[in-house]
Amino acid sequence: MEIFNIIVELIQLPAVILGLIALIGLLIQKKPASEVIVGTIKTMLGLLIMSVGIGALIGALSPIQAMFEAGIPAGGFKTFVTFDEAVVGAVQGANLQSIGAAIAWTMLFGYVLHILLARITKFKYIYLTGHMIWIHAGAFAILFHSFGLSLFWTVFLASIVDGIYMTLSPALAQPIMRKITGNDNIAFGHGQTLLNMVGAWVGKLVGDPSDSTEDREMSDKLTFFRDMAISISLIMIVVAFIGVILAIIQIGIPGVEENISGGQNWFVFTLLQALGFTAGVLVLLQGVRMLIAEIVPAFKGVAEKLIPGAKPALDCPVIYPFAPNALIIGLISGTIGQALGMVALALIGWPVPLPSMIAAFFASGSGAIFGNATGGRRGAWAGGFLWGFLGWFIISFAYKFQVFGDLAAMGAENLGFTVPDAIVPGILIWLVAKLFGV
Amino acid sequence: MKIATLCGMGFGTSMLLKLTIEDIFKEQSISGHQVIPWDLGSFKGQKVDLVVAPTDMKSHLKSSETPVVYIKNLVDKEEISEKVLAAIQDIENKRKGGE
Repeated sequence: MEIFNIIVELIQLPAVILGLIALIGLLIQKKPASEVIVGTIKTMLGLLIMSVGIGALIGALSPIQAMFEAGIPAGGFKTFVTFDEAVVGAVQGANLQSIGAAIAWTMLFGYVLHILLARITKFKYIYLTGHMIWIHAGAFAILFHSFGLSLFWTVFLASIVDGIYMTLSPALAQPIMRKITGNDNIAFGHGQTLLNMVGAWVGKLVGDPSDSTEDREMSDKLTFFRDMAISISLIMIVVAFIGVILAIIQIGIPGVEENISGGQNWFVFTLLQALGFTAGVLVLLQGVRMLIAEIVPAFKGVAEKLIPGAKPALDCPVIYPFAPNALIIGLISGTIGQALGMVALALIGWPVPLPSMIAAFFASGSGAIFGNATGGRRGAWAGGFLWGFLGWFIISFAYKFQVFGDLAAMGAENLGFTVPDAIVPGILIWLVAKLFGV
Repeated sequence: MKIATLCGMGFGTSMLLKLTIEDIFKEQSISGHQVIPWDLGSFKGQKVDLVVAPTDMKSHLKSSETPVVYIKNLVDKEEISEKVLAAIQDIENKRKGGE
């Protein structure tokens, strides 16, 4: 009986299920035994490493949040960090009510359905962006779980939405992708699709594609943002010091050192928290890396066998070489969009997502490239800006109305989702559920 | 030979580069190489023989002691194949020369 109990407990652990998926994938690829063992263990370690990173990240974020809370007068707004990997990682790691297991199963069955749909419908795309496969499985599983469904129904419904999402979103973006890449060989596989398409539609209205951003030379000074460690550090240092200065204005330096920093000098403490947050992010990303490293090749191998000739739907940076100038415009206009979005949200008293360089570079950058494809230079500015501005509203909406349930209670404190492809379907399903009184 | 593929986050584009390079090795029946995806921030200090990175990372990798191959079109298998195989050949020739 004891062995039975051990097995029952084990197969509810997210790390074990993900390890199992990797194991099956490696076996299907007929890898040698040593690689199978190493790959399986590394996948399991990935999730555990992620939890360590999340712990550090939340640990550093809490005092920064406390500074904003102390610095913003009562009745003001609340701030939070928007970061998909952190939300899913934290919820899956905490594994309350077996939600972590539901996420892992959704990742598997959602992908199975995706391959099935790609095989039988005309949408011949294979979604290959590993962290996005995981994040969407996570978002949809968390969504259905928040309606109080059982593990089975959570996985069942989340897998259906996930499979449909991965099949349709590359198809939605493909007309623009053809314009960007000049051929029909690759597709777009990233959770930004919906806002990128908004960028493309608005670009068409305001601009002219023949006035491309790529006709001019631009300086490459901003490419230092390529180094995530540096760009996240810089932005968090700025954010944390804004927080501590607001707090000092309200409660003074003694107040900060007494209530928030635990006696440590406020300046040193603030700097340490900002860097500690970045360190947490880096550990988290290392975990994500290990988690998907074995699963993506397995998914790819299976999909290619079953759907020959399908187009791979790939991560957003594959479009960067086609419009590097638009990318930089997106980084700038996206940052402006985020800043204005934050001000607007603060004014109406909605929760304010703190600035994110990941969103400015990867999301607004891609939004600008989509905008450039339909509306040239103006389209690029519009695409990047809208991703930041409109994106911040959508992100805030999901956080404010707890579209994905009480994420803080599930382990993701002060964290919210970013990608519109998870949030917008999430809001729609949430509204339907509300209509039916769930 | 140990080959690192780079991107900003270390699991998106770098993973795709890794898969492409492994496909190329398979097609050409080349073996004995290990391809590892990495992020730009934390790969320094890792000991690898060859780095494969997108062109826009050039300014970050100027000081790299390891040979770097820059890929302009990340989905162009021919470009990747040509550049990476040439670089591997180059490194192997140098090693033989050094002995």
